[in-house]
Amino acid sequence: MDMLAQILSSGIAVGMIYAVIAFGFQLTFATSGTLNFGQGEALMLGALVGLTCVDTFGMNYWVMIPVVCIFGMLQGSFVELIGVRPAIKIKSEFGWIMSTIALGIIFKNVAENIWGRDALPFPSPLPMEPMNFLGANILPMEILVVVGALVMMLLVEFFNRKTIYGKAVVATANDRDAAGLMGINTSMVITFSYALSSLTAAFAGVLIAPLTLTGATMGGALGLKAFAVAIIGGLSSGLGIIVGGLILGIVETATGFYISTGYKDVPGLILLLLVLAYKPSGLFGKSAIKKV
Amino acid sequence: MMKLKSLLPILIAIVGLFCLPLFIHNPYYIHLAETILIYTILLFGLDIVVGYVGQVSLGHAALFGIGSYTAGILFFHFGLPIWVTIPASIVVTAIFGGLLALPALKVIGPYLAMVTLAFGTIAQILINEMTWLTEGPLGIKLTRPELMGVPMTKAEYFWMVSAITILALIVIDRFVKSQMGRAFEALRDSPIACDCMGVSVYRFKVIAFVISAAFAGLAGCLYAYSEQYISPNTYNNELAVLFLLGIIMGGRKSRLGAVIGAAIIVLLPKLLDDIFLFRIVASIIAIVVVIGAAMALSKKVTTPRRVAIPIAGVVGLAAFSFWLNSISDWRLSIFGFMILLVVYYLQNGIVGFAKSFYQSIAGKAKTTRGGDAEVVDDSISFISAVGNQNAGAELLKVDSVLMQFGGLKALNNVDLSIKRGTIHGLIGPNGSGKSTMMNVLTGIYVPTAGNVLYAGQSVVGRTSSDIALSGIARTFQNVQLFGEMTAIQNILVGLHHTFKSNMVEIALHLPRYKREEAEAHARAMALLKFVGLDDLANEEARNLPYGKQRLLEIARALALDPELLLLDEPAAGLTAPDIQELLRIIRKIRDNGITFILIEHHMDVVMSVCDTVSVLDFGQKIAEGKPAEVQADEKVIHAYLGT
Amino acid sequence: MLSIKNLEAGYGKVKVLHGINIDVPKGQVITLIGSNGAGKTTTMRAITGMIKPSAGEVTLGGEKIDGYDSHKIARLGLAHSPEGRRVFTTMSVTDNLLLGAFPRFTGSRPKGDIKNDLEKSLEMFPRLKERRNQLAGTLSGGEQQMLAMARAVMLNPEIILLDEPSMGLAPILVEEVFKIISNLKSQGVTMLLVEQFAAAALNVADYGYVLENGKIATHGPASKLKDDPAVKAAYLGGAGGH
Repeated sequence: MDMLAQILSSGIAVGMIYAVIAFGFQLTFATSGTLNFGQGEALMLGALVGLTCVDTFGMNYWVMIPVVCIFGMLQGSFVELIGVRPAIKIKSEFGWIMSTIALGIIFKNVAENIWGRDALPFPSPLPMEPMNFLGANILPMEILVVVGALVMMLLVEFFNRKTIYGKAVVATANDRDAAGLMGINTSMVITFSYALSSLTAAFAGVLIAPLTLTGATMGGALGLKAFAVAIIGGLSSGLGIIVGGLILGIVETATGFYISTGYKDVPGLILLLLVLAYKPSGLFGKSAIKKV
Repeated sequence: MMKLKSLLPILIAIVGLFCLPLFIHNPYYIHLAETILIYTILLFGLDIVVGYVGQVSLGHAALFGIGSYTAGILFFHFGLPIWVTIPASIVVTAIFGGLLALPALKVIGPYLAMVTLAFGTIAQILINEMTWLTEGPLGIKLTRPELMGVPMTKAEYFWMVSAITILALIVIDRFVKSQMGRAFEALRDSPIACDCMGVSVYRFKVIAFVISAAFAGLAGCLYAYSEQYISPNTYNNELAVLFLLGIIMGGRKSRLGAVIGAAIIVLLPKLLDDIFLFRIVASIIAIVVVIGAAMALSKKVTTPRRVAIPIAGVVGLAAFSFWLNSISDWRLSIFGFMILLVVYYLQNGIVGFAKSFYQSIAGKAKTTRGGDAEVVDDSISFISAVGNQNAGAELLKVDSVLMQFGGLKALNNVDLSIKRGTIHGLIGPNGSGKSTMMNVLTGIYVPTAGNVLYAGQSVVGRTSSDIALSGIARTFQNVQLFGEMTAIQNILVGLHHTFKSNMVEIALHLPRYKREEAEAHARAMALLKFVGLDDLANEEARNLPYGKQRLLEIARALALDPELLLLDEPAAGLTAPDIQELLRIIRKIRDNGITFILIEHHMDVVMSVCDTVSVLDFGQKIAEGKPAEVQADEKVIHAYLGT
Repeated sequence: MLSIKNLEAGYGKVKVLHGINIDVPKGQVITLIGSNGAGKTTTMRAITGMIKPSAGEVTLGGEKIDGYDSHKIARLGLAHSPEGRRVFTTMSVTDNLLLGAFPRFTGSRPKGDIKNDLEKSLEMFPRLKERRNQLAGTLSGGEQQMLAMARAVMLNPEIILLDEPSMGLAPILVEEVFKIISNLKSQGVTMLLVEQFAAAALNVADYGYVLENGKIATHGPASKLKDDPAVKAAYLGGAGGH
């Protein structure tokens, strides 16, 4: 029973991180039909920039968060401008897939050269002693992760539902041409969705950094698994992503525990392949009708 | 048939490769050349997925690894010789390629890329973790393969790899020029049209991945013996991206492109390790690009704006190289940068760019591909006459079909009876369900209720390609030609069903294959002449004028030897003389006994050529009869005009 | 108000419009009729920036707008109720209406009293008022058409373009739609109405243009066009003979 509670609590924390990154995929896919294959690197850069703020500039963790968010927005806009916009213009899917991959590689290499190849510890803003809850050891930081992820997603939801600009974003996602007819500058909406997407990734980066080691390689695996979550949940469903994240997080933690940590990543990937084989629109998504 | 002109480069290559170890004795350079050849084999295979099927695959490093490890495992655990491990690697990797294709069947684009990425990641993890089989991170050591009991020398192994590479080149070249290559390209250009022409998308996707994997497996096996040591971390995502960079930069759909790409990805890291050499090369490239741009600008072939970024890029790179003391740390950034450059400025790779650069400088306008115009054999009957027996009998019966999407009833209890040998018109206002009906008849939609009987057999639930092969062919409201393929290639895809030869016959150019290819070509030319397109046979379909594109679609549909031809707004966008030509063609086809269902808005077309007309409105049939009767029908007038 | 001169446009290689001239004076309802494939929707798209014209000019209130992006044209006061309605299906009726007033929120158009206008809109379209919080995707075809029109009105536009408002609607709903168009007309709203249903369109319009194969075949006061045999021929072929 203790074991189960432990697996669940660790799994939920990990799962929420995947969900937040996957959320970013959904944002850009909804508005532009594209996504950032370098999303994991956006998270990594956020974590490393955050580390520099806290270590080198002595910033307080909580003050650092908005700084990292702004960095994320700039990074996302850059990716859109260089990697995605030209590809959308020439209507090349191959183009944005390859260029977001390329940008991800460049970011990773730049990070390696600036921060080195070693994994660095990130000072935790909360005490590191685990609390005991229902038989499981939970780190305060893990609770912060879950709370932070939920708050971020709720804020974006609030933005989408209550502000006119948020509604403009939803409208663009729903029907780009019609949104243009309403006077909405849809190119700017797409740039904005990329900025927001990298913001959420960077934010997720500083949330998870104190729990793991921070380094140039932390983005790769996270990005792929976040994609798995986005696919499993369905690229059109916000709730689906949370459920998908939780499923993946718990399954992964259980695998790591019962089989071996080396195989931890495998079930998520297999689940991704199964979903793509049988229901590509995801567990919660709606299948599209072919138009000929 | 290989002409001397195309044979010459291969002969030169064979001679060159044979001589290399004789004149260059440094094993380092021989090894380098060997690695280039091995990567070339892999890129031949990758090109099928990336160049021909047009998808991004991030899984080929893993397939490469599976090939290496099959050889390694068989060698290490069972001591099997190379004559066994080579075929074993090919077969095992091909099987994994098939496994990879399964989750990829229903998806394309970024989803498919993710499938390959997931596959690649899983494979690497498994190789790393299953130490009882693969020795995990320790890796496996291999010794030189033995030739008649004696280990091969470096030179002998190099010759073996060269010979295999040349064989691989010939085989892949024959595959892509055959009906298989055309099927792959059709898959890329329009999966829906592909299925409707009887070429099953699922089937050929699997075949593409299997062949591609087979080549990767072969390359992997040869690599294992070449390096004499394999370990899991070689076959990572970075290598997968590097392979992609290679094939795109070298040039897709080109054997030479694969060679150039392989050379680039092998030599580039070496180049980056030596900062002095890199500075020289970067400066040379910068100078070449600036001169080339100046030449292009002076001939007014391009604008300053367009060359600004590439020039800034290469000059900036050269400057950057002088500023740094060591560039090997920035290796991956350089790769990333090159990918960006290639994706936006070198879409056709070095080979493609060189071709078009040469053409624009030399002033040649080349819009056609392929050989000289073929002569049409007028004696060929290109429409397989269905015969006039059974004229008037019911060929197709639509029985109370209901097609519902959510709350919308696109087709609401529609009955149709199509008689053999007639031209049956289907008209109605926008949104009345006409195209939906077409899609139900060709298996793109499965009706919510009701039945469709073709020659007595139910069509419901069968795949589009199955339906196409049983005698129903169609054209599309929005032209669905295979845009990047030539006119004659489009027709040849329609003739895919006439090819019975298998991969072995294609690879060896056995008589049956050559006969089928020749007959298909002759028939395709005859079909093109029928619609007046024989002089445009080698023109890319997307470059044809709109009216001619529509005629090409009809000719392609005829290639299926259909009994029933569905035309979806064939006259849309056509000028008056084009419409007359269309009518002439339709009547000639009908004279061969083929039955038509014709969706049209152009009333003059409907009036002059249809025997019966059915009118749909809101998914229901509101009138049916001879054209003149329907035209005067109150309900029809109201549906269209609202009076 | 809106003036189109020698407009040519198409999709890729297909040229659909071969030089058309239309004039929409302020305060009038002009209709563009013709059979399917004649180019009516292409005309609308070229005016509102959904496609770029290949030649010719489009002037709105004196400003040349041909080649502008859609959002720029909307911000100049041209509202478009597009073919197929294209309401935002995952958003509520109210949200759809608020989005129609988007340029007023951001300052590109005079703000006025958006909340008040929202209520007035709902009064004019009682069916929508009942469903103000419902998702637009769950509305029937007729209700979606109302919504698309109300959404266009929310812009407080200089001119409204209505593209095939009757398409796919049952006769009784078509009547309601045209009643609303009449209502708007009596309020002095300038409109360009593209319709397949010639009879209803000519009943409500002041002036009409008949489009055939991408060219204006004939034009004149709506009352005269109604009885013109050329109009019937344009739709059903036959009688006039081609």
